[in-house]
Amino acid sequence: MKRIAIDPITRLEGHGKITIFVNDDGTVENAYLQIPELRGFEKFVEGLPVEEIPRVVTRICGV
Amino acid sequence: MKLKIGIYWGAACGGCDVAILDTHEKILEIAEAADIFFWPIAMDFKYDDVRAMPDGHLDAVFYSGAIRNSENEEIALLLRGKAKAMIALGACAHIGGIPGLSNMFTREDTLRRAYIESESTDNPGGVLPSERTVNDGNELELPRFYNTVKTLSQVVDVDYTIPGCPPASMQIYSAIGLIADGMLPKKGSVIGAGDRALCDECARTKSEKKITKIYRTHEKLPDFETCLLEQGFICLGPATRSGCGSRCIKSGVPCRGCYGPLDGITDQGLKMLSALASVIDGKEEQEINATLDTVAAPLTTLHRFSLASSIPRRKKV
Repeated sequence: MKRIAIDPITRLEGHGKITIFVNDDGTVENAYLQIPELRGFEKFVEGLPVEEIPRVVTRICGV
Repeated sequence: MKLKIGIYWGAACGGCDVAILDTHEKILEIAEAADIFFWPIAMDFKYDDVRAMPDGHLDAVFYSGAIRNSENEEIALLLRGKAKAMIALGACAHIGGIPGLSNMFTREDTLRRAYIESESTDNPGGVLPSERTVNDGNELELPRFYNTVKTLSQVVDVDYTIPGCPPASMQIYSAIGLIADGMLPKKGSVIGAGDRALCDECARTKSEKKITKIYRTHEKLPDFETCLLEQGFICLGPATRSGCGSRCIKSGVPCRGCYGPLDGITDQGLKMLSALASVIDGKEEQEINATLDTVAAPLTTLHRFSLASSIPRRKKV
């Protein structure tokens, strides 16, 4: 079996990679899209003053 | 000869990349001065293309984003080897930035919240990302998610820093000009920013500060004439490098310190605490402490962008 990796996927905001497993006869057995990144906004906004949140979550995506 | 440059992001939002594009028509001058050999947001080069480069192939690499996981660190090390000059671009690479706020929590707290507890998550099996997964006989890898967010200079040797969240576009443009003209200052310098405190450039009127109460921004409307700190709002201007053009302050919003500390200051938040302590009105320690106690979330307010580069780097848990 052959393994093809597209790493990183490009021309988008964020990180991602695609791994494709190809059988010996050339057919695709499985293809995976993986997102290798997490920053953790879900957790670290906890405890921040609520009026500060708009200036923090705007850094989720700056594109 | 044209420069060879690479642009990459670790734990970032892409805002630094957009700040490069926000040079508008000047991007054409950048394209005339430099060939870009790696830039995931805009071009199709892969990690293997970088691995295939000889060492020192790139004149400059601009690395934005913090070091959040093993991939961010691995690519930082890879690019360091390929770069004659490694440049930390933006607050996250410089001082940890907003992703550095994660250092208030542990790796486990963050993973549990994001993948199990959050209201929008449907994950009955409670599966968490793991470095190695086998599915259908296919082996898959993910980077290791670190317990502590790091700055770029905590993992590789950094030659220059362009601060800001995001860096002002024209500051990036002038920094690229310095490289193209061979005019870079001594290694370790901050480029594309001022060398004074933001307060020194702020147009608001300042008098002797005597603060008796700290206000949160929703508690009263700031006036547009007087120093925000004098009005009782926490403004990190005294502890922050100039160079942003006072974008927030001109909009009536107090500074949160994205340009980082001035030369010689290790801990921006402590510098701000020291500045704050000197302007609180009161003679008795108890009185001063009572005012300081009204600062909401002091650790993450004074270290909003700089927690990962603070002396303790993270909350001890």
